[in-house]
Amino acid sequence: MRMTSTGRRSMAIAASVGVLALALAGCSRGGSTGGETSTSSAPSPGITDTTLTFGITTPLTGGTAGPGNCTADGAIAYFGAVNDAGGVKFGDGKTRKIEIKTYDDQYVAANALTNFQQMQADGVFAAGLGLGTPTNQAWREAAIDAQFPQVLVMTGDPTFSDQTKSPWQLGLVPTYQMEGEALGKLLTTDGKPHKVAILSQNDDYGKGYVEGFKDGIAGSSNVTVVQELTYEVPAGGAAADVSSQITQLAASGADVLLNAVSITPTVINELKQMVSIGWTPNLLLPSNTNSPGGILLQDGVNAAAFPGIYTTAFSAAAASPTFATLDGGQDFLDDIAKYTKQQGVPAFPHCVWSWIGAQILEQAFEKMTEPTRESFMTALRSISGFTPTLMLEGTSIDTTTDGHPAVNAVVTQKFNGKGYADADSLG
Amino acid sequence: MSWYRSAWFRWIVAVVVIVVLAVLPLVADPFANQIIAKIATFAVAVLGLNVVMGYAGQVSLGQIFFVGLGAYAAAAVILSDWGKALGFGGIVIAFVLAVAVPGVAGLLVGLAAARLRGLAIAMVTIALPLVGVPLAKRFSDLTGGAQGESVRFSKAPAWSGLYDDQWQYYVCVVIAAVVFALVFFLVRGKYGRAFAIVKSNEHVAGAMGVSPYRTKVLAMTVAAMVGGVAGFLFLVVNQYTSPDTMGFGHSIELVISTIVGGAGSIVGSIIGGVYYVLLPLLANQISQATGYNTQNVIEGVVILLALFLLPGGLASLPRVIRRLARRRRGHRVAGGTAAAPTNPNTK
Repeated sequence: MRMTSTGRRSMAIAASVGVLALALAGCSRGGSTGGETSTSSAPSPGITDTTLTFGITTPLTGGTAGPGNCTADGAIAYFGAVNDAGGVKFGDGKTRKIEIKTYDDQYVAANALTNFQQMQADGVFAAGLGLGTPTNQAWREAAIDAQFPQVLVMTGDPTFSDQTKSPWQLGLVPTYQMEGEALGKLLTTDGKPHKVAILSQNDDYGKGYVEGFKDGIAGSSNVTVVQELTYEVPAGGAAADVSSQITQLAASGADVLLNAVSITPTVINELKQMVSIGWTPNLLLPSNTNSPGGILLQDGVNAAAFPGIYTTAFSAAAASPTFATLDGGQDFLDDIAKYTKQQGVPAFPHCVWSWIGAQILEQAFEKMTEPTRESFMTALRSISGFTPTLMLEGTSIDTTTDGHPAVNAVVTQKFNGKGYADADSLG
Repeated sequence: MSWYRSAWFRWIVAVVVIVVLAVLPLVADPFANQIIAKIATFAVAVLGLNVVMGYAGQVSLGQIFFVGLGAYAAAAVILSDWGKALGFGGIVIAFVLAVAVPGVAGLLVGLAAARLRGLAIAMVTIALPLVGVPLAKRFSDLTGGAQGESVRFSKAPAWSGLYDDQWQYYVCVVIAAVVFALVFFLVRGKYGRAFAIVKSNEHVAGAMGVSPYRTKVLAMTVAAMVGGVAGFLFLVVNQYTSPDTMGFGHSIELVISTIVGGAGSIVGSIIGGVYYVLLPLLANQISQATGYNTQNVIEGVVILLALFLLPGGLASLPRVIRRLARRRRGHRVAGGTAAAPTNPNTK
């Protein structure tokens, strides 16, 4: 039988396609994928008899890179030292080294989700410590679907500590409401009249602060809110121009400004402008934009012009002169220098937070009796009355209360020109 | 005639590509599928930008706005009570609106902006993402506000027997393929010629009876609709959207991806999508290996190299290589037999 040349060609194509399809289909998908329930004793991905891999997706570049790098570096330093000392002795009797893998999300939500998917492909056991609300929200439900722990995240969004909504999550830092409330209470204690102006970013962060602050001053006779303004946060952690808001708030004659702003460059610009127009009220700063080195002592920011700069804290400030004398203080400084690329003493508190978070993780590792994610979550949720090094007196770790992040209380502090010291009232 | 230009060779390539794309998700690991689905998504976004920028020659810095708008339009339907009640029908309506709403927005913007030229059009389009992000935060009832909203609708249906990542892959690749085919035929037909003449000279276009105004409006509307499709696909692969989706920075990255891939090229749009998705991943790998964050450096180097060496983008690489090869061959021939008669059959 003779075929036409076209006929032969199409036969050849069909044949090769068939072979190709068979060859590709022959190698079926290996390994297990999400959704399959594992038996209780089978180890979860990312954990062997000698190692455990922990992932951190956080902004390592872009406008929030300063705090972002810190959220990873504290844990890298802590576990660097722990690993060199042999590793963590887990509840199942095995000693494992903790391998930290970092992923840059640039504070972009879609990138954070991609990073989570890459973590699953990379065989990461659990992830967390990362900075940011939208970035952590972007993979929250995907993590729940995959039964993947997303823990000790650095966002004050209460969703992450709500066990019904977030069975595989836990927040680390105090919620925005907790911090706002503490700042509100601070104003009520001295009984003197205070007129408060509020600048807040128009998102869950700003709203949470304002809500908590109003709870804090509720029922007090000496504090009145004279003006509230909001502004929109630009994408990607860039600085916003809030100069018109500052001018308006200055005209209100307030003697206190609640500054619910989370982006570092925005705060720097703001403080410069306030000094230049001669409006220097008492400042109430959130914990993630209160950095002495990163903000208040930057060139052009004349922090001394303000009568008082107050904030909330649960951790010791690395820049404080007494820091090295604290339990764990010198270890922190040495390990940060040895295991990370931080230049000198870290300017952002997130490094210490991450260090504290690493100690909580270590507690959970020591308590987990099986090498599974389920066992890890159970262990993580059973820590109470634990005070890691570098936490302030009056605060502690309690992971057992639904609706509360791991850090359960904050103290109020005043800026003293170099660092912060505890303060219960204005003045 | 060269073998790689022959019709049967093209058919083979097409069939092989289709078979590989169809079988790949069944054997690849989930992460590969998720990445390819994202590439399909952003290839469509770049394709939309290519319609207005590559083919019609109008610089648009606002393409990401239409992507974000499409995602929000789809999300609004899927999350609404009636959208949920309709089930699959709701998702179809979500898709239709994800195309229609950005389409209408693109038409309105086009009607206003197409009277302008060059830089002025670019300025108008810059406004879109700049206005879009705060709007998305303001209308938090509709958009979920600054923290964004989860839209979990693209799990694999039970009848398919697929994993979620495989299902999302097929949805994205099939929709992307259809959009690519439609745009392919659009830019090769009557409208494609109109785009080309408007791009090269608006006065000549007018003299030939092609209205530059209408052509530009059409290009912007089509680009917005294609961007809307990308927005729907974005929702399929991410199941989440936030105001950041339509951030201005992403719009610039789309423009860079278009230039690196190849402006005015279908293949270039695919390469652009690959570049857009893989660059952050690559930068992550380098940063994990070396401890240095290199994304901005890589991006800068790639765009400079593309502009200097390959102004037509990576899609023009085979053409450039062929030209260089021909020039070398030409030199050798010229050096050997100076008076060789030229063969009229070779071009």
